[in-house]
Amino acid sequence: MPKGVGKIRIRLPKHIAKGEVIPVKALITHPMETGLRKNKKTGKIIPAFYINDVRVYYGGELVTHADWSIAVSANPFMTCYVKADKAAPLKVVWKDIKGSVYEKTVQIQPE
Amino acid sequence: MTVAMAAVLAVVVGSLISCAETRASEKKVSLTPGPEVEELEQSMSYEEYQKRYKEVFGTATEEMAEDGNPAELALDDGLDLVNAVAGSKGLSCASCHGKDGVKLKGIAATYPKYDPAIKGIATVALQINRCREGNMGAEPFKYESYDQLVITMYVKSLSNGVPIHVSIDGPARPFYDKGKVYYFKRQGQFNFSCAVCHVKYAGYMARTNLISNNKHHGDHWPAYRLKWGKTGSMQRRFRGCLKNMRAERPAFQSEIFRDLELYLTSIANGEPVQVPGLRM
Repeated sequence: MPKGVGKIRIRLPKHIAKGEVIPVKALITHPMETGLRKNKKTGKIIPAFYINDVRVYYGGELVTHADWSIAVSANPFMTCYVKADKAAPLKVVWKDIKGSVYEKTVQIQPE
Repeated sequence: MTVAMAAVLAVVVGSLISCAETRASEKKVSLTPGPEVEELEQSMSYEEYQKRYKEVFGTATEEMAEDGNPAELALDDGLDLVNAVAGSKGLSCASCHGKDGVKLKGIAATYPKYDPAIKGIATVALQINRCREGNMGAEPFKYESYDQLVITMYVKSLSNGVPIHVSIDGPARPFYDKGKVYYFKRQGQFNFSCAVCHVKYAGYMARTNLISNNKHHGDHWPAYRLKWGKTGSMQRRFRGCLKNMRAERPAFQSEIFRDLELYLTSIANGEPVQVPGLRM
């Protein structure tokens, strides 16, 4: 795996009230190569390498999922909304086309 | 009749005066050493520029920076490199500079600075490589490689919030002048200098781009740039600008680029270091 790929930051609001709809902001570093670009020096095509599947779990339950393709930018940032009605872990899983899986879990703790 | 003639005369004289005014804004000054350069005047004050920036971009970049700068995620790798043992002498950066490089706090705010050992200006990136070669017996990093960028970024980020105070007096003065001459020298197929855009027309639009004021050009590199989709150094940005000017592009950490980096950083003197930056 190239260096600096798959570093994740997930941000939640500082204070969460029970039952509130909160934004979950997730950032992952990934080159998201389309497979259409050429190396300018050698003329060879840079092989495709992008995330094609994203899933968000809240307390083991699938909240949302997304199918991404080559149109998504490098180092993609995404936001989804979750109704914080229980104290449970929130897990975001990214899968890329080379089979790597990147995931991070944060705890949602409504006050 | 005489009234009409007087009016025509007045118009002619008026246009002559306005001509003279535009000439006055491009007064020639001589810097030592080097050729004569045209020193241009700032198009507008920095406050005025900030107002224009708000009109064009609003708070989009601030919101983006709040959501997360991808370059910040790579700082951990820089920390690991500082603590990693490398080279023939079995040393790491941390052996001399304290664990996690704590003794380097605030040091990067004084860089680039004159180094008598190389009889020139040393930037942080160059200093790290010289330290690796000379003191650690390790391979120097290739410029713009991932490792080189993250370690530079980490070392500079230790000085975050410290006001920049690079010295441009004493032995550094001739190098500062060289950098300044380069900044104001017209070059390339389009006959631009750096200063034409970033001093004379800063704050105006070049097609859909707002030309940036040079006050904050020196304080945030290496930065994550959306156009590149990755982190890059200030000198990579220089080379990008020179390419657009259709001018010759010096190599990374070449003497003239280090002098130019000193000149640009000295403009930002007094502003806090904020590494890594996030720019469009």
